[in-house]
Amino acid sequence: MEQIVFGIGITALAGALATVAGSAEDTESNIGSQGDPNSQVQLAPQMGFVHRIFNKAVAGEPPAYGLWCALGAGLAWAFLAMQINAVLAIVLGSLLAVFVQGIYATTAYLGRTASLSKFGQPVYVDILKSMTTVAMAHAFVAIFCTVTICYLINVALGHPFPLPLLGFIWGITLGAAGSATGNPYYGKERQYQNQKFGAGVPISASGNIVRYAEAGERNSLDNGFFTAKFGGPASGLCFGLIVFLELWRTIVFDKISPGIGAIVVGILIILIFTVIDRYIEVWARKNYGPYTAPVKEAAP
Amino acid sequence: MTAVAAKPAAGSAMNPTAMVVGVVLLIILLVIAAVVSPGLGLMALIGVIIGGVLIGFGVHFVPVGGAPAAMGQAPGIATGVAMLAAGAGLAGLFGGAWAASQGFAIAIITGGIGGGMMMAITCMMVNFVYVFGMGIPAASGKVAKDPITGDTQPEYKSQGTEGHGLPFVSFVGGVTGGILGGAGGTLIYLELLNLYQATLPTLMNASAAQVLPIAVSVAGTFAIGMFLVNAVLTAYNITGTIEGPHDPKFKRWPRAIVASAVASALCGLVAILIVITI
Repeated sequence: MEQIVFGIGITALAGALATVAGSAEDTESNIGSQGDPNSQVQLAPQMGFVHRIFNKAVAGEPPAYGLWCALGAGLAWAFLAMQINAVLAIVLGSLLAVFVQGIYATTAYLGRTASLSKFGQPVYVDILKSMTTVAMAHAFVAIFCTVTICYLINVALGHPFPLPLLGFIWGITLGAAGSATGNPYYGKERQYQNQKFGAGVPISASGNIVRYAEAGERNSLDNGFFTAKFGGPASGLCFGLIVFLELWRTIVFDKISPGIGAIVVGILIILIFTVIDRYIEVWARKNYGPYTAPVKEAAP
Repeated sequence: MTAVAAKPAAGSAMNPTAMVVGVVLLIILLVIAAVVSPGLGLMALIGVIIGGVLIGFGVHFVPVGGAPAAMGQAPGIATGVAMLAAGAGLAGLFGGAWAASQGFAIAIITGGIGGGMMMAITCMMVNFVYVFGMGIPAASGKVAKDPITGDTQPEYKSQGTEGHGLPFVSFVGGVTGGILGGAGGTLIYLELLNLYQATLPTLMNASAAQVLPIAVSVAGTFAIGMFLVNAVLTAYNITGTIEGPHDPKFKRWPRAIVASAVASALCGLVAILIVITI
């Protein structure tokens, strides 16, 4: 019993850390403009819309976070092997991984923006100086939380994978959850704030991203400020649920009924989310209604 | 014929020569494994190939919209195919590896359910953001009616887009893809783990307990690597985006099965050869 309670405590802590990690990951990727919406940041100058948005699609978010979290976890593992205190080892590992992220961010911004010089897009040094550090700070939170989750899973819950491998796995999952949930909110809702609410961006509007803020030109910090209110927490909820439910079903139900318990609960969780998803879909159809009148089928 | 006049082949046409070459390559690789390591190695390779094929087939189900989905211009999840599939499959592998001591079948099913859970949560959150964050209902661009629910789609597509969000069939596809990917990844891991646990003690002149961490790490790394190989191959097959099992691109899966089998066999052979003394 004591073991189960201990496991539940670790699970709850890991879930909470994952929520923070997901939220920080999405905000970092929006401030740095990484992931799919960055295609519009790259496209805008080519369509004649010069802007002051950061531009660092180092890679897709999942492989990028796979690298940074594996790096953080690997270095933490090495420090642990040197008998350094666990908290300090994780902090140092994450810190070194963040420097790598910062290097990638800087070279990506300079390289990608310089490639747009023929379209008149300048490289803004003040953007580089003010935004890289903010993106790095958010990345540190995301990496630190993820590496801590991996440490807890490895040491406290006894998962057989070593720390760097767990860092890679959960880093990729973090990036996948964060980009899947957060990207549409940044891509559609923020970059195309000038388009109609409640509709997708018409393909003809591609590249015409919003470039002006309440005062002066919009920059990526404004974007992070905006998406941190919905896209970030939603990404955090997504990753938090994934980590929490994955651990919870194993920790609690494997003890009650080894093997089968976790499987049955997993299937039930999938069914519950299927029902919730269907409810959301039907709710939207009922409350928002169709854009055009339904096409009547020809009478036979 | 100019490029403009050329009809898009939609990539669904099978190339019989390429398929035959693929099958021949597969047989050659299997024969090499049978010669080098007739018992354990060959069995491991067959498991790896089945796992790789499961991953390759599973990725076709995952609804991925890429960059257009991030602007609400196309349905699907707004990220890359390989990345999302890897995220789901690796979450499954995590669960499967944890359950490895409970038996082969339990571990594979646990891995599959882990991948399915990750996709169910992610797909639900995608619709959550579309509906409550952006006020956009789900609509498919490829079919007039959802094949599962029968909901009509075209009138819910906003002007100038190919659809948005995840219709129910895409959600089911995502979960199915996650289950297949998680199970496939776990199968590869288990097969390689069994092989390494049996061969490493003699190779390294150490006890089974001493080689266990190495066996787990190397098997896990190879499983992740093979996952990415198969996911990327499939991403090429569906040219980056797919709505799910109702998408016409889904019909291209036989090609990916052959490609995944050959690629998994080659990678699997390398994974086997590192512990076989010839």
